[in-house]
Amino acid sequence: MRHLVLKYLKLWTAFFRNSLTREMEFKANFIAHIMVDIIYYSSLYMFYYVIFQFTDTIGSFTKETVIIFMIVTYMIDAVYEFFFSGNIYSFNQMIVKGNLDFILTKPINSQFLLSFRYVGFNGIISFLMLLFLLLYLIQNYPYSNITVINYVLFFISFIIGNIIWYSIDFVIHCLSFWFKNFSVAGWLGSNIKQFSMRPDTIYGGVLRKIMFSFLPMAMIASVPVRFLIYGFDFFLLVNQIVVGFLFFLLARYVWVKSLKKYESASS
Amino acid sequence: MSDWIKKYYSVLKMSWIQTLEYRANAIVGAFAILSGLLIEYLLLSKVFSDEISSNSPIQNFDSFNHLIVYIMLCMMVGQLKSSWHNSMMMIDEIRSGDLNRYLIKPISYFSYNFMNFIGHNSLFYIVYFIMMSLIPIIIGPGYIFNGVFQIIGFLVTLIISVFLSYSMYFCMICFSFWFGEVRALIISYNVFNIFLSGQLIPISLFPDGLKQFVMNSPFRYMIDFPVSIATSDYFNYQYFIDGVLVQILWCIIIYLIGRIIYIFGIQQYEAFGA
Repeated sequence: MRHLVLKYLKLWTAFFRNSLTREMEFKANFIAHIMVDIIYYSSLYMFYYVIFQFTDTIGSFTKETVIIFMIVTYMIDAVYEFFFSGNIYSFNQMIVKGNLDFILTKPINSQFLLSFRYVGFNGIISFLMLLFLLLYLIQNYPYSNITVINYVLFFISFIIGNIIWYSIDFVIHCLSFWFKNFSVAGWLGSNIKQFSMRPDTIYGGVLRKIMFSFLPMAMIASVPVRFLIYGFDFFLLVNQIVVGFLFFLLARYVWVKSLKKYESASS
Repeated sequence: MSDWIKKYYSVLKMSWIQTLEYRANAIVGAFAILSGLLIEYLLLSKVFSDEISSNSPIQNFDSFNHLIVYIMLCMMVGQLKSSWHNSMMMIDEIRSGDLNRYLIKPISYFSYNFMNFIGHNSLFYIVYFIMMSLIPIIIGPGYIFNGVFQIIGFLVTLIISVFLSYSMYFCMICFSFWFGEVRALIISYNVFNIFLSGQLIPISLFPDGLKQFVMNSPFRYMIDFPVSIATSDYFNYQYFIDGVLVQILWCIIIYLIGRIIYIFGIQQYEAFGA
């Protein structure tokens, strides 16, 4: 097992180096992507700025909590961009053109290779900027005392949140195997992701239960924020771990099933 | 003139046939509106809970339902005027040298792609017009299309807004002649446009400074203006005529800017990779 983990870690390091070389070839593109991230962040900030002219809280989340929530959603986005987005978004084209053959014929786990092959460096730059901003905001957070335990819980929950979103987006992109040309997978994914970009306090009743189980969008950013601000919650932690594990299994299952549908070149 | 119409009508027909191949787009398009609307409804119902319980107006909206119908319509119009797919294709053509195919033909690159753009969005027109016609049945009468003039006014301003939006995209696309890769510019524009054109929150709720900026920019005439006509209680002729004139003026300005950038750009064009 240890050997296997080391092997894949070494592989990812090679992907990282290769992607860095590629990225340095297109420096302007790299800077442009960071600019896009900043514009994206500022538009969402402006949205909440307008919202908070009419209210002081959204459910139990105060203005300060919502800003922290917003930063965490950006961080999730940045991590996703760093590891996965460049790989998963090219999924459909690989299936249409039959380029998936090159992935499947390699002697390593195909899902790993497909998900991690290219690294999006602008993601890490955005992540670091956001991390500093988050730490600054937490230092000045007026309502509760945020301890080391909160940070540890947040860290665990943040990783699980990323795994959940990866699994959901991966399953959405696997639909490309069933449809003739599912070029709108990215669009569908970004629409579903919108549910995670609003505080969980807006969801009530059945929808809230769905957002914490079958379509666990509240588990992606809202739950890590809850651990960071409000501390330990046994039920929430167990719920997130179980949901994260089940969704990862689902992604594996869908991938194995999808490969059986694949008809190779120009399918 | 009839040859011109025939020529571009054929382009429109071809892209329409191509679009029919990808019917999943229409389903995802409908989902985009419904899911987006659900999220905004839930959020805004928390924000304006007092106004909802007392059934009082929200700024210049008679009721919360009126506000939601406005946002829904903004989302639909926003999608109808979005030229994401076409823009990416045009950038690739300029970058890869495929633009040559058009330069040697008696066809305008601007008009050809405008027809492609309309053809590509044609499925959305059908889906969204069906959804619009269902609004009075689901939410109740009085919120949208309160008279025949509102329907005609909306259609006229929508057509102009689609042209204005395409001209704006064209200006940005033409920068590919110099920079090659301008996808980031298009993405940035799209992201900002969603917010500034009132698809997330109506322009009338913006703080004064931002509202002033948007009202004096072409953004207002892309979404807010057609939607405000469709959702108005009474058809105000003066408001309509004044608005359409400004809308046309913006079209001329943006079209001319695009034309100038294209003329300079084509001189830079070296047909790499062709």
